[in-house]
Amino acid sequence: MSNKIGVFVCHCGINISSTVDIKKLVEYAKKLDGVIVSKEYKYMCSDVGANLIKDTIKKNKLDGVVIACCSPRMHEHTFQGVVEDGGVNAFNLEIANIREQCSWAHENKEDATTKAKALLRGAVAKAKLLEPLQTSTIKVTPKAVVVGGGISGIQSALDLAEEGHKVYLIEKTPSLGGRMAQLDKTFPTLDCSGCILTPKMMEIANHPNIELLTYSEIKNVEGSIGNYTIKVNKKARFVDIDKCTGCGDCVTACRLKDRITSEFDEGIGKRSAIYMPFPQAVPLKCTIDKDTCLMLTRGKCGTGPLCVDACEANAINFKQKDEEIELKAGAIVVATGYDLINPDSLYEYGYNNSKDVITTMQMERLINSSGPTKGEILKPSDGKKPKSITYILCVGSRDETECTWCCRIGCMSALKHVYLLKEKLGDEVEINICYTDIRSFGKGYEEFYHKIRGMKTNFFRGRPSEVKTNKDCLTIDIFDTTTNKLFEIKSDLVVLVPALIPRTDTADFARKLHISQGPDGFLLEAHPKLKPVDTFTGGVFIAGCCQAPKDIQDSVAQASGAAARAANILSKKELEAEPLVSYVDEDLCSGCATCISICPYSAIELIKEENGKSHAKVNEALCMGCGSCVGACPSGAMQQKGFKDKQLIPMIDETI
Amino acid sequence: MKAEKKEKKYALYPGCIMPTEQYAYELSLREILPKLDIKIIDLEGFSCCSEPIKSVNQMLTLALSARNIAIAEKEKLDIFAPCPMCHLALSDCKKVLDSNPEMKEKVNNYLKEEGLKYTGNSDIISILDLLHDIIGIEKIKKQVKKPLNEIKIATHYGCHLIRPSELGRPDDSENPQKIENILKAIGAKTEYYPEKLDCCGALLSANLPDSALTKTGQKLKSVQELGFDAFVDTCPWCHRQYDARQEKAGSIIAAKLQVPVFYLTQLLGISFGISEEKLGLNLNQSPTETIKGEKP
Repeated sequence: MSNKIGVFVCHCGINISSTVDIKKLVEYAKKLDGVIVSKEYKYMCSDVGANLIKDTIKKNKLDGVVIACCSPRMHEHTFQGVVEDGGVNAFNLEIANIREQCSWAHENKEDATTKAKALLRGAVAKAKLLEPLQTSTIKVTPKAVVVGGGISGIQSALDLAEEGHKVYLIEKTPSLGGRMAQLDKTFPTLDCSGCILTPKMMEIANHPNIELLTYSEIKNVEGSIGNYTIKVNKKARFVDIDKCTGCGDCVTACRLKDRITSEFDEGIGKRSAIYMPFPQAVPLKCTIDKDTCLMLTRGKCGTGPLCVDACEANAINFKQKDEEIELKAGAIVVATGYDLINPDSLYEYGYNNSKDVITTMQMERLINSSGPTKGEILKPSDGKKPKSITYILCVGSRDETECTWCCRIGCMSALKHVYLLKEKLGDEVEINICYTDIRSFGKGYEEFYHKIRGMKTNFFRGRPSEVKTNKDCLTIDIFDTTTNKLFEIKSDLVVLVPALIPRTDTADFARKLHISQGPDGFLLEAHPKLKPVDTFTGGVFIAGCCQAPKDIQDSVAQASGAAARAANILSKKELEAEPLVSYVDEDLCSGCATCISICPYSAIELIKEENGKSHAKVNEALCMGCGSCVGACPSGAMQQKGFKDKQLIPMIDETI
Repeated sequence: MKAEKKEKKYALYPGCIMPTEQYAYELSLREILPKLDIKIIDLEGFSCCSEPIKSVNQMLTLALSARNIAIAEKEKLDIFAPCPMCHLALSDCKKVLDSNPEMKEKVNNYLKEEGLKYTGNSDIISILDLLHDIIGIEKIKKQVKKPLNEIKIATHYGCHLIRPSELGRPDDSENPQKIENILKAIGAKTEYYPEKLDCCGALLSANLPDSALTKTGQKLKSVQELGFDAFVDTCPWCHRQYDARQEKAGSIIAAKLQVPVFYLTQLLGISFGISEEKLGLNLNQSPTETIKGEKP
């Protein structure tokens, strides 16, 4: 019980004082029960304001403080330090939010002052009943888990490992590399994508602090900041990776050679049932696709599996099973990347009518010298060189009916292709670009665009209404909004630049990690400007395109940022734990376990008593103080420190 | 089984072009629908659907459409509007009035004089809603006596039947398939062709007649060159372009066009074994005898 409370009212410049009568509020506070002093200042969060609070506490020997100011989300932490310095326990501080909840929301000064008084009255009522609490500490597991082996995950893992932390890098597919490994060149510098990526992949493979888990997926995540337990499913490769030398003899021998659609080649190339996704794969080990392998689907492969005969290392093992492993980590970096919209949903662009309508990713594979055509640009329908190629930008992007956002890489990737295609097919190849706006916003991008504009390329500003499949060519109807003319373009090959969309399993994945998705489906950052790589869950960070579409440059920068934020946690031995956790009144608890089912952090367990009864018990290290269990508890046995019923109910009574 | 046999009743909203010029559409409709357990009720007092004055006077447009709907509502009947243009006008009006009570009240003030009231209780049914969704493919299949023997037919939906999609049109605006499904049910073949969604040109007829016929001719020329045996539509405006004006369209684009053009309802009738005369086939001006004599 506090009965010597000081009230401090902040003007927040004119943010509060222009709508709330500060003088009246200060005088009003003095008359409230338990308040012995009341003061005002223009900026309570400034040094002068902080000293005013500290001095007033000491002079009046206060045992409780109420500050009427902005939202506790802004400055509660600051003021807790101030009152602690003055000699009052940090948890004997109560904030009355008279800015966001009062001055900013109202215009009439008299009414706003009346509401400010009510909010202050409630805060004082609660402050009288607050109890001093002590923060505890939790030990930190000095290891990190990075999810996703694309360029973002690679960068985060390397940064964390260089800083001296143990890192587990988890990748869903058989190899590191992600989308960047599929690209031929990168804009605007035209660096060879593979040449700048593979050294980093090798670094991952050889780094003593990094344990690489490819062909593995997260099953379940428990725990909280500093101490996560991550269950990982290592999918069976049916190849013993300790024995496999990556020689590729089995790939050549496979009975289904060149008959399985290659995911890495975006559906335009073929592979075997036993395969390495691409020649620079890390680890350079084979994997058997269990959905197509004859041995694994039918139990027999001709007169016997040819891969087994071919493998000198005896590495093939059809009996291998998925393996579940458990990892401990203090922080998690999520870099799971993006999917591309399936252009089938935009029927008018003819993707499912003609083989010669392809996507940018498929074009990347055609351009790439290790791709299905060995780098030759050939039409998928007849294998002939195209004389005319048309790009359609913003397919599904910036479109009210599909994705409202910009994909941020489409314009530049098409411009890059113009350069590469002119190089491969000669200057006489006709290239048309149908664009909405050319967004060349990054460093060196505008200059690159300028260069391409001088390369005999036709730019049409508009969205084609339809791509028609004719016998000998494709025709594109487009209304060019710069010349106000309708054009009919005849082309041999149409390249669609599809929208970047969240991974289709994002919702499921986000639930496992207790993180949020934005309205667009991408993973949500804690603050769009000031916490761009944090999530609302402590110790979980996001990087790359899982957060929003971005180019390689931005992905790498964000990945380093996420690694640095994770290192903030891992470099500490102990973290301070908020004492605002739940606890159980064991005498009242009937052991119904409702709270256990509702707790998102698995922080509650059921304890059996000797008399056959049971009660709930909160693990304070795991509890995040969300209060869900308190709301769910039917008997009132569950209470949260700092927000007990007997503290909140008087507050509500006074306020309303 | 009983429920399936039960006859459904609809008020026929004939529009203007069908009863004054495109008789074959109405004849064939009246022949095939009874076989599919649909009863058509003729009501008195319908006026213009209002589509032609849409860009001139919004209030009058709504009042005129609402008046027609109100006439059917009075008899507690849903409206079947075989002309896609009429169907669009009435659907548009319904969407506005059902979501805007203030406008509904204004419109009802006009209708009061005639003792009518728009309530929103009647649905507006298009030819595709009726054939494909209400009657259904299975029921159509059961009536087929003379399947169309695999003749290859080019489908034409026309703009009004599938656009604008926000109004909830009877089929997909980019990839409509319901006519294809119906044709398959009566034994015909269909195929994608690049001009499938192209406009017939009819709406340009008043001020740019040559442009209108160019659009008509180009589509038919492509259909002819791609080797289709026939061409099918469901809109009387489109039909007039492709059927009655085919020869003229050919002369404008300097092509000899000989594409047999049918209403979908006529093809259904042929497959049901109904006589040519009853289906108004003698009224078609395109060379329909080239296929109706032998193949079907």
